[in-house]
Amino acid sequence: MAGLSDALAAPRPRRLELPGVLCTLVLAAVALCVVFPLLLVALQSLQVAPPGQPARYGLDGWRAALGEPGLRAALVNTLTVTFARQLISLPLAVLIAWLLARTDLPGRSWIEFGFWAAFFLPPFTVTLAWILLLDPEYGLVNTSIAALPFVGAGPFNIYSFWGIVWVHVVTGSLTVKVILLTPAFRNMNAAFEEASRVAGAGTLRTALRITVPVMAPAILSVLLLGTMVSLQTFEVEQVLGLPFRFFVFSTTIYDLLVTRVPRYDAATALAVLILAAMLPLVFAQQWLTRGGRYTTVTGQFQSRVHALGRARVPVTIGVLALVVVVLGVPVAFALLGTFMKLFGFFHVPDPWTLANWRTVLGDELFLRSLHNTLVLSIGTAVAAILVHSLIAYIVVRTSYAGRRLLDFVSWLPFTVPGIILGLALLWLFLGVAFLRPLYGTTTLLIIAGVIAGMPLGVQIIRSGLMQLGAELEEASRIAGATWWTTYRRIILRLMAPTLLAVGMITFVGAARNIGNFALLTTTANRPLSILQLDYVAQRKFEEAVVVACIIMFVSLAGALFARLLGLRSGLG
Amino acid sequence: MGAQPAGVGETVLTLDRVSKRFSEAAAVDSVSLSIRRGEVFTLLGPSGCGKTTTLRLVAGLERPDAGEITLRDRVVASAARRHFVAPNQRNLGMVFQSYAVWPHMTVFENVAYPLQLRGLPKAAVREKVARVLDLVGLGGTESRPGTRLSGGQMQRLALCRALVYEPDLLLLDEPFSNLDAKLREQMRVEVKLLQRRLGITVLFVTHDQVEALSLSDRLAVMHRGRVEQVGSPRALYERPASAFVRDFLGQTVVLSGSVAAPASGSGPGRVTVAMNGTLTGCTLTGRNAAEAALAPGAAATIAIRPEDIQVAPDDRGPREAHHLLGAIDALSFVGDRYEARVSFGGEHGIVLLLTRAREWREGERVRLGFPPELVTVWPA
Repeated sequence: MAGLSDALAAPRPRRLELPGVLCTLVLAAVALCVVFPLLLVALQSLQVAPPGQPARYGLDGWRAALGEPGLRAALVNTLTVTFARQLISLPLAVLIAWLLARTDLPGRSWIEFGFWAAFFLPPFTVTLAWILLLDPEYGLVNTSIAALPFVGAGPFNIYSFWGIVWVHVVTGSLTVKVILLTPAFRNMNAAFEEASRVAGAGTLRTALRITVPVMAPAILSVLLLGTMVSLQTFEVEQVLGLPFRFFVFSTTIYDLLVTRVPRYDAATALAVLILAAMLPLVFAQQWLTRGGRYTTVTGQFQSRVHALGRARVPVTIGVLALVVVVLGVPVAFALLGTFMKLFGFFHVPDPWTLANWRTVLGDELFLRSLHNTLVLSIGTAVAAILVHSLIAYIVVRTSYAGRRLLDFVSWLPFTVPGIILGLALLWLFLGVAFLRPLYGTTTLLIIAGVIAGMPLGVQIIRSGLMQLGAELEEASRIAGATWWTTYRRIILRLMAPTLLAVGMITFVGAARNIGNFALLTTTANRPLSILQLDYVAQRKFEEAVVVACIIMFVSLAGALFARLLGLRSGLG
Repeated sequence: MGAQPAGVGETVLTLDRVSKRFSEAAAVDSVSLSIRRGEVFTLLGPSGCGKTTTLRLVAGLERPDAGEITLRDRVVASAARRHFVAPNQRNLGMVFQSYAVWPHMTVFENVAYPLQLRGLPKAAVREKVARVLDLVGLGGTESRPGTRLSGGQMQRLALCRALVYEPDLLLLDEPFSNLDAKLREQMRVEVKLLQRRLGITVLFVTHDQVEALSLSDRLAVMHRGRVEQVGSPRALYERPASAFVRDFLGQTVVLSGSVAAPASGSGPGRVTVAMNGTLTGCTLTGRNAAEAALAPGAAATIAIRPEDIQVAPDDRGPREAHHLLGAIDALSFVGDRYEARVSFGGEHGIVLLLTRAREWREGERVRLGFPPELVTVWPA
């Protein structure tokens, strides 16, 4: 890669001055909200007294965590699910990104939007939709197949290892990779490919020998990101794994926390283990994104498309089928589920009803939660744009001594399961006197949402900033503008599409976030995502799926809004 | 050169032993310069010589590690006193290599931006923008997006944006390098005319010697972070102080030999060199370019600009002093003249430009005259 960078004579990254005080202030605030809670987690793992009793320190928690009979199984399960997810989704995502960005696939911009929209679907809702199809006894696919002659029972069981992997692949794993990789592929200099074509290689050979290797840093970066997300997934395993006693790390931790006497010590000890496992991935990610490894793919080139030729029709059908699977099926069946008298039971007489919608929409709790969710999501989006862009700016553009540290810290929220981060924030807000009044308010959830979205938000803005020529800013400084004026009138304006994309992602992230919020909500600030969880806990699946559908529509509206603004964003 | 604007001689910018290092390497190494009001001063050098870093230090986009920068009697950066004036408080204009035309603003908004920052009333902004756009022939494009212009127009727009607030000093960072050859020549002339008309002081950075020579009143050749020589284009071209300046500015024919015993007929400061290799037996005489006298027998090279060599067909007349005999190896017609490679029997040859007033042939023998007043002798 070094040779390529040299050939393109990438200019030395330019460092501008931003008052060190402001940088330190940002670093301190981020450290307080991210590092300090994680230290509390580490400390808590050594605090062995049961809740409500004076603190006592020891290694019992660690002993319990490491001696936990399910731990080995949870470790194996976490790793195998992660591995299977990445193994299936990565090659598929690279192929789709290449098709969308570098070929004349018909309707590719709408297909890309399809993946965008699917990325915004809440995993919880999607899981419910797939249960309707793949439940071993009542699932529609299974009952249809069983109705065929010579077939005994339906072959699929969603409550299984492959069921979990399947739901993961069609929710986050595939779509996030596609939406991050497609812009990166699009920005690649076409001359690399053209040189290969002229040298005599066909479309396929060029893709395999030139395009994919040139894009290796972006692909690897997306893989690392995907692996980190996989290691801490929660909802899918919680819903699908529990019925057949299948635990992963995050659900094991949840299990330790929701028993009658919560084992904070053992749960946090497990969280520290995950954190330790994540750190090498964070370092690898940082190494990848540092030092111009991305400069081989800058946006200043015309990227021309390959003709698919005879493969056009079958490839189009295949990709459209995927869009149906990742977007159409979940949306249609989640919606269908809301009209069922008994969720998942298609064969009862007269299974359809409007009662679920009436119950939920008439529930005063629902209206309050909807209000909370909207305030929370909009607040999170606005705050995230400001905070994430400031962090990204300091990391990319200033010579501030702590910028590497800040970059590293911005990754940390990804290194522990959402539920643990929520718990850590709970301790932070109850433990620090001047933060205590925030408990039970939506502001607290907004702070949690900004922190939860930080790794992705900062990374997306950061890669956008790296493509923005420093001279555009320098010209403004020379013309007489202060740093702040330049930030407002040049950087924010030029970065508007990327920032709005980050805003939308955090908006939707906050609307559907369960893990981070579960322990932070009270009846006063409960958002929709927690309301649906509460309905599930009360076995009110029909109401839960109505709320899940509403969250889904809020998310899809966000995706559509982003699309109307002409947003495209990603790594590269 | 035209009439000098008033106030010439007053110093606008002074660099006093300014250094800047990036990690371990010194990008700018103790550079001292002073630039006078109304002149075009050029920093010329190969890529990586520190010229752009010097410009960025002046602009305030980098902080010096040592030394002091003074702009119109105001110290704007001093490493010793830990004093630094931000770029927005220096009242400089700058045209970037990429033009840095803001894509989210129209032509008008791009030029109006610095005026708005200075709090000018709207009417004054409109009037000033219109005047500067007219000056460069961009009148009528006000409402176009800044990046929907051709390369030459974007360049003019960037120039307008840098000039509209009448900065104390205009910085140009390789502004012509993204233009094609014809447009580059045209813009060069335009910038020079504009500079003469407005009397602005310009600090210009380039690696292109033709640009540097044609545009500058004075120039500094930089090499490895240091200033090699400062002077007028003509002085540098004709009397380079170092072999680096000699070879970087224009073409040079260099031949090697050793210092011969002082021969009769050579005047004061003249040295005669006995050539070696296939030219053994020939001698050439020139001016000693080194400060110290050259000892007889010491290895030396002679240098001459190719256009100063007098080329004539070899009429097989008697051998003359200050002449070499050669043969045209390869000849190509390049339009206004011939380009010929002349060799002296060995592998090496020199490239000369021949007039098209005569028909030349490949293989033809030629007689090359090296006038002693145009030849310089350098220690090897």
